[in-house]
Amino acid sequence: MSHDRKIIHVDMDAFFASVEQRDNPKLKGHPVIVGGQPDSRGVVAACSYEARQFGIHSAMPSSRAYRICPEAVFVKPRFEAYREASRKINNIFKIYTPLIEPLSLDEAYLDISRCTQHKGSATLIATSIKAEIKERLNLVASAGISYNKFLAKIASDMDKPDGLYVIRPEQAIDFIRALPIRKFYGVGKVTEAKMHKHNISTGADLARLSESELTTLFGKSGSYYYRITRGIDNRPVNADRKRKSIGKETTFTDDLLDAESINTHFYRLIDRVAEIMQKRKFVAKTVTIKVKYYDFTQITRSISSVNTISDSNDMLLLLPGLIEKTELGARPCRLLGVSVSNFVDETQEDQKQQVLFG
Amino acid sequence: MKISIKKETLLKPLTYVVGVVEKRQTLPILGNVFIKSVSNHLTIIGTDLETEITTFLNKVESEDGEITVGARKLFDIVRSMPDGAIINLDAKRENKVIVSSGRTRFTLQTLPAKDFPRLEVNDWDSEFKVSRSDLSGLLGATQFAMAQQDVRYFLNGLLFEAEPGILRTVATDGHRLARSEIAVSGIETAEVQRIVPRKAVLEMQRFLSSEGGGDVNVQINANHISVSTDQLIFQSKLIDGRFPDYNSVIPSNLSKHVEVKCSEFINVLVRAAILSNEKFKGVSLLLEPGLLKVSSNNPEQEQANDEMVVDYTGESVEVGFNVNYILDALRNLETDMVVLGLQDSNTSCTIKSPNIETTLYLIMPMRL
Repeated sequence: MSHDRKIIHVDMDAFFASVEQRDNPKLKGHPVIVGGQPDSRGVVAACSYEARQFGIHSAMPSSRAYRICPEAVFVKPRFEAYREASRKINNIFKIYTPLIEPLSLDEAYLDISRCTQHKGSATLIATSIKAEIKERLNLVASAGISYNKFLAKIASDMDKPDGLYVIRPEQAIDFIRALPIRKFYGVGKVTEAKMHKHNISTGADLARLSESELTTLFGKSGSYYYRITRGIDNRPVNADRKRKSIGKETTFTDDLLDAESINTHFYRLIDRVAEIMQKRKFVAKTVTIKVKYYDFTQITRSISSVNTISDSNDMLLLLPGLIEKTELGARPCRLLGVSVSNFVDETQEDQKQQVLFG
Repeated sequence: MKISIKKETLLKPLTYVVGVVEKRQTLPILGNVFIKSVSNHLTIIGTDLETEITTFLNKVESEDGEITVGARKLFDIVRSMPDGAIINLDAKRENKVIVSSGRTRFTLQTLPAKDFPRLEVNDWDSEFKVSRSDLSGLLGATQFAMAQQDVRYFLNGLLFEAEPGILRTVATDGHRLARSEIAVSGIETAEVQRIVPRKAVLEMQRFLSSEGGGDVNVQINANHISVSTDQLIFQSKLIDGRFPDYNSVIPSNLSKHVEVKCSEFINVLVRAAILSNEKFKGVSLLLEPGLLKVSSNNPEQEQANDEMVVDYTGESVEVGFNVNYILDALRNLETDMVVLGLQDSNTSCTIKSPNIETTLYLIMPMRL
């Protein structure tokens, strides 16, 4: 078992909202909600700690957030500002290690096993990363330290905000056993309910099951749970993690039913996706559409093409077949999305199948 | 409507019918089977608006009437009954049917039979009889090469080509092609080309390859195909499109031919496939005097090398292929020996059996 790695998970505290409060001091100390306006059908993208005290959380409809906390300040997201901050934070990470795996704009794993600063002390490195983020960006981060990604991520959540928490290898097993299953990566509402049904509510309960029992219950994830509950997570910090999909979606002010406006919205989304694909020179094999009906039930439908998909035209050809597999036109929808995935690896482009009808 | 029927008797037609019913439907009634009883004759129909299967059962203890009921549910219920059980369907109450057997009782919702959509087929242009096993063999020899969800929608199906005395099927996904034909004495019409959709081909093959010999009746017009027996009518819409001119891509003057033992070639390829690139599945074939060498390597730079002794004296040639395409062809030929025809690294290869010219496989190379 490799207990010799040192992984830090850095998680910015209320990132979007903090950037807003930093750039507009009037917002300081007030509940700030970044996302859709309260009279729109948008959702909360992020909110400040003041807002969280009211029970507001991300992904909550803005209208509901407003009802809970009418004095909250609603701010439109400024992604360019967040990206800029994220870039600067990344530059701070680079002082300590090249092994950085960003999970999103506000979260990253760092493998500092080979870092020589501070005599390699993970706690000191994390402290100075936090201090530099505070000094250079005037933002607050929480850090979690352990010997693998799973535990580091859990640690960063332990004493948020402005947290610094270490889970040492010798503490790991006890720590995991006491952990409620909801905290396990990949366990959402559905899995949680399923686990409760089988009287599993903590890491200790999970650890009692054999690997085969776990795979019978949870399929592929079973062996993941088996290893995790024993403190084993050998996933490397993946410094050049590639983007796996490109997608765009819109929520509508009024539910859509007529085919024409549904098509128009799909065309627009397809154009936006195609634009990013072309900018990044991505070539995909799969197109997926996402539909959220008026009652919030959500479906996705995908199609994979033997040919590559590289522009809007390729996607438009596949669109009718995808729409056919939905209830669009029969059931009102509130959200439409388009994404492409299954990118063709350009480095292997030379290994190429030739075609019969060129 | 009231029906009393043995499990096995009902299960067989349901098995065919439930195959065409889509798991997700745009209209609720498309998830149902249509059941009609007239003077002890039972008609059971399933459809997805593209493909429709109608089955008949005679001499069934029944009272007249018609209903539609959830296909998958009825199938699962009937299947789960003990062998030999007598199953009763009773649709006395409106919008409900009671399916019962012994102490077991299910109450299912029904939808009005008059709303059940049927394929509207005009007159047939051509009609012929063909042996059921021949037709099944013909589909089996070619269907694997059909495209799946290709933007070129006309490739997502099987080309049926009828000319006097011959029925031919052709499938291609743009990388490889399969062509096969059988003699059918009853075909007298001038040449017709029709594309049968992929799903219909697979469903058709499901009932053709199940037990039962004899002939089936095939009927074709511009928009539909029908394949029928006394107990079953299979009908499908056709794909409206032009199949590519496949004859123009079949190479006529390949200069290098080698005969190899099919089973040995399969074993060599299966081994080489282990180290081929997972995504592209490329293997290299190097034909030299006396030897056919097969090699592969993966992105980790691991290598597999294998060879077979062959009777060949011509020029050397090396060509890369998707190993799965070759294996598909070899496994479908079912002959002891196969003839591999090669030209150069940019020309397609042909695979056929040494004596029988009726089935031909064509595979485009890969650049390795």
